[in-house]
Formats: sequence, structure tokens, C-alpha cells
Amino acid sequence: MTSLVSEPFLWRWIAVATAVLTVIVIGESWIGHYRSGFPLRAQYAPLVGGMALATACVALALVPRVEWVRLAVRWAGWVAVFTGVIGAGYHHYYGIVEKAGGYRWLLHHLMYGAPQLAPLALSTAGALAVLASEGVASAAVSPSASVPRLALAVVAIALAGAVAQTGILHYRGAFNTPFMYAPLALPPLAALGTGWLALAPAVGLTGVVRVLLWATFLLGFVGLGMHLRGLDRQMGGLHVFLFNLLQGPPPLAPAVYATLAGVGLLLLRAW
Amino acid sequence: MAHKSPRLFASPTHPIFTHFTIALTASSLVFDGLGRICNVSSLAAAGWWTIVGAVPAAIGALASGLTSRRRLAMEEGAARTWLRAHMAIGPSFLGGLVASAIWRASLWLETAAIPWAYLVALGAVVAAMTVQGYLGGELVYRFGAEVRERYEKLPNEREPAGEPARRSRTRPA
Repeated sequence: MTSLVSEPFLWRWIAVATAVLTVIVIGESWIGHYRSGFPLRAQYAPLVGGMALATACVALALVPRVEWVRLAVRWAGWVAVFTGVIGAGYHHYYGIVEKAGGYRWLLHHLMYGAPQLAPLALSTAGALAVLASEGVASAAVSPSASVPRLALAVVAIALAGAVAQTGILHYRGAFNTPFMYAPLALPPLAALGTGWLALAPAVGLTGVVRVLLWATFLLGFVGLGMHLRGLDRQMGGLHVFLFNLLQGPPPLAPAVYATLAGVGLLLLRAW
Repeated sequence: MAHKSPRLFASPTHPIFTHFTIALTASSLVFDGLGRICNVSSLAAAGWWTIVGAVPAAIGALASGLTSRRRLAMEEGAARTWLRAHMAIGPSFLGGLVASAIWRASLWLETAAIPWAYLVALGAVVAAMTVQGYLGGELVYRFGAEVRERYEKLPNEREPAGEPARRSRTRPA
């Protein structure tokens, strides 16, 4: 292991990746909530909480030894966790329960209503931030320590959630290109592998999981390109910027795969 | 209708960033390849620093490409199909470049020799960059993207005999 990715740098890099993930979540939630016209004040919560979290994570990466910075990251992280969970409740209530047809039109609302699992991306970022803060404090990088294993478990669960949300939305998009099957093929295997390593940190499996995470990392960038292409397939393309940004595929969402895989790869440096 | 952009972004900056990306990425492959073959450490160092420069240049190319696309009114047709392929490959290339740079960084930190596998991987990234550059070149030199609408006649310029007045292919007169 090299100096720049060993303790305490490992957790500082994870803080950077968490900040990037948070910025992606802020961007996507702004697009989604702007599209609906911010009818509820609560729709500003992920933007405010996310900005606080991203700022705190950057501060942790820069000055990890300052106690109040670690405390701020913990606070911002827990706020983000709860904001995401409450957001999921909002999305469930206003996206399914209150809609005409309710649960009887479940598939329709899952596809066309508020994305049910999207707010939990903020919870993921919050959980990773809290663990990064704990990791910096305890300097834990060994697979036998609880903090890295917990972080790996968070990555596995978040990848599984991202796959589920992608599955619904790509189904809505009628899998109009074969590339749309890719996020349902590679990341589930990566989620299984990271989950397995979190539960039983067996060294033998590390190489396979690392390859799967690298593939997921690259897939995130390919998805970014494909979503840009999707935006440009609409009438006027990106020349009619705001309209097509709101109506097309979520432009930043595939990058969530890349950041989660990045966090997983960083954690595997310790394995 | 042209968008009112800040002066800095009013001119097409995309070609500037892309050419830096192309030069630095290709140079990195050449330097690392020569460093491996000739076993010269200064060439390997040059390979590392050029890929370090290529990553921010590629991010700039992606960002400036989006601002260029936003300015460009392009009707459906062959040019638009090429443009969409160009837009899809761009971030994929960036992902490959970032992954290669991370791999190269780990080699640099460990002061390890460049393995052939790395050179093959970076070669694949350069191949993707070549396709991307070809598409970009076609968009500019064949379809006149961000060029034709900026064309201004010289004061004494005449249309060639029998040809209609020049018009933008991508933008209605």
C-alpha cells in the first residue's frame, strides 16, 4: 500500500468521493424538484443539507485532524441520512399513495412518479461521511476493523438500490438501446461481491470484486455519455437546454455508479 | 439566435481543450512505451506528468463541449447523428482516461516499472480518443459545426460563378 492511500489518506479520499456523490445528488434533486416547481418547501432540504454535507466533506479531506471539522461532518452526515429517509417517505406518499389509483397503479407510479429510491442516495452520502469521519478519527483501514466493513456494506446496499432504481427507469425507457441492460448486469455482481466482502472479508475474492468495481466505475462514465446522447435525441437536443434537461434522462445519475465503485475500490486497498 | 454567453465562453474553447487532451494523452502513451522499451526513467516520468495534465484538459473538453453544443443549433440529419455519437463517446473516453491515470498514479507512487497491460489499456483509451477526434473533425470540417455560422465574407469576396450565396448548413438563414 502506498502513502497517499494509506491511513489517514484513505479516508480523506473517501471524503472527496463522498463530496462528489453529494454534488451529483444535489444536481439531480435540483433538476427533479425544479421540474415539479418546488411545490413543497421540504424539496429544498436535500439542496441545503447536501451543500452542508459536501462542504463538510471537503473540509474533512483538507484538515482531517481538526476535531470540530470531524464533528461537523458527523452532524451533516446524520442530517443527510435522515433527510434522505424522510425524502423517501415524501416520495412514497406524494409519488404513489396520493396519486390517482394509488397502489393499484403501482408500476405506473414507480415509473412516472417521483423516483422512490433516489432520496436514499443522500442517506448513502451521509452514512459514508459519518464513516469517513470515524475512519479518520480511529485510523482504521484493516478489513478486521468495523468501520471499513460498514462502509463497504453501505456501498453494497447503495449499489443494489441504484440497480433497482435504474431497472425501473430503464424499463420505462423500454430498453431502447442494448446498453441500457448494462447497469442491470455488472453492478449487481459488484454489489454482491462487496456485500460478501463486508460480511466475510475473504482475501481470495478481493481480486474478482476489484475487477467488478473497476467495470462499474467505467460503466458510470459510459452511462454519462449515453444519457447525454439521450438528452440530445430529444427535439432540439441540448440547444434547447433547460427543457430537454428536465425532460430527458437524468444527466448525472450514472455517475453515482462511478463514485460508489470508487469508494469501494478505495476501501479494497485495505483488503 | 445566439446565446448571450460571458465573453470568455463566447468563442469556441472546445477545440483548445480537445487538442491539449489529444496531445497529452498520446504523448503519455509514447513516453511510457519508449520508457518501457528503452528503460529510461526520465521518459517514464514524462509519461506520468503528461497523463496528469491530460485529465483536467479532458474535463475541460467535456465542459466546453457542452457549452458548444448548447450554442449550436443543428437540425436532424447526418451531422446530428455524428454529434450524438461524439457526445456518447466523450464521457466514456474520460472514464477510461481517469481509470488509466489512477492506475498510472499507483505505479508512480510505488516507483514500479510500467507493465505491458497498462500500455495496452492506455492504447485502448487512445484508440477511443482517435475515434472521438475523427468524429469531432468531421463535425467541424465536413458539417461546419460552430464554423459556418461564424463565416464572414471578405469585403472583396465574390461567390463562385453559378453558385448560390453561401449559407449555414446548420443554421437557417
